[in-house]
Amino acid sequence: MTGMLSAANEAAALERLHELKCTDGLPVVVPTEARVARMALASGLDRDLALGEMGPGKGIATVEKVAVAAVMAGCLPDYMPLVIASVKAVLDPRFDLTEMQATTHCTAPLILVNGPARHGIGPIACGFGALGPGHRANASIGRALRLAMINIGGGRPGESDMALLGHPGKFTYCLGEDEEASPFSPLHVDLGFAPEDSTVTVIGAEAPHSVLFSGDGDDPESANRLLGCLAIGLANIATNNAVLTGGAAMVLLNPEHAAVLADAGLNRRGIAERLHGLCAHSPDELARYAAAFASRRTESAADSRRSCFASPDDILIAVAGGTGLYSMVMPTWCAGPHRNRAVSVQVEMAQFCEIPTENP
Amino acid sequence: MRDGIAIARLGIPAVALVTEKFWPQGDFVANSLGMPDAPRVRLPHPVAGTGEANLERIADAIAPAIIEAFVH
Repeated sequence: MTGMLSAANEAAALERLHELKCTDGLPVVVPTEARVARMALASGLDRDLALGEMGPGKGIATVEKVAVAAVMAGCLPDYMPLVIASVKAVLDPRFDLTEMQATTHCTAPLILVNGPARHGIGPIACGFGALGPGHRANASIGRALRLAMINIGGGRPGESDMALLGHPGKFTYCLGEDEEASPFSPLHVDLGFAPEDSTVTVIGAEAPHSVLFSGDGDDPESANRLLGCLAIGLANIATNNAVLTGGAAMVLLNPEHAAVLADAGLNRRGIAERLHGLCAHSPDELARYAAAFASRRTESAADSRRSCFASPDDILIAVAGGTGLYSMVMPTWCAGPHRNRAVSVQVEMAQFCEIPTENP
Repeated sequence: MRDGIAIARLGIPAVALVTEKFWPQGDFVANSLGMPDAPRVRLPHPVAGTGEANLERIADAIAPAIIEAFVH
């Protein structure tokens, strides 16, 4: 049992949680013993089960502690499988969570949900405004992960989380892929999962950068122009991806932009390969704008452009959002021992335990 | 801080250099890694990118503190 605090009433308890720096600055649902018990029960897992050690504070992420975060974030018990999967993803050593929590970069975990859980849990918004307000499951699942990172991982601003500014996605950053509106196979299927599987893919990402593009059905170059715009946004020379290289990034295509690329005969792999080629800079550009980092490079081919990505596999592409002019790209931090890899985890629906709706 | 503690755990004497803006984080990391008294020396902030002459001034100023930390 996690240590218990006591307070005279809910309002006093909330103020106490704020004082103890246990919140994200917004009001939380007070994690009473009964609420946490219901949340933990919904996971179908032993509440003392340790999912892993969460840095930099080295707290042990038990199911119970994750349930505390989920209650505080405003999750319904139904959301627990996604919260658990998201926590497992960031605890994967390849995610470099300890270093990521401590960096001065603004990075935040972006959760992308694939598979039937998008409909069975929540639902998870995938379309218009999916990254914005108004979607309880998106908002509270992403927030639960952040509260776990604060209270289990110990990431607190200016003390252990040294992000110089952070970004609003550090409150919550979660959406689903709009598989039904996508001309491509779902992201998780291309990553090797079965279509009937549900997954979360978590990537430490900057705030979304909007990419404006208006297609022209009469222009045979339309797809190439769109790829060029995406590449400029994805790896402009002020990004870590351009300078440090070797990391990953996310591209969220709105359905209209996805159709432009699909109509040009491109699938997800083809788009990633084209972007891999386009996201590159010359040694001169790097020396001019990022000399402190560029000078650390050891490549000898002075006249060749250096790709921002080690492989097309490092460019994750998903379809989401309303249909129209704007897609989004999310560059990343790209540092840490594993270069802050994106991690996909299957959502364990079989363990889920349905909880009566009564709310204590 | 983390590097300094990792090196110390290898049995190699180590002193971490921590700038004043990152001093609280140094404390946090030292505590969370179970070595709250890991030796560290405070630097002004920023150091990186302030030019070679300034780096030399800082190095001259803190060298005695680094030696002192190694000795004790």
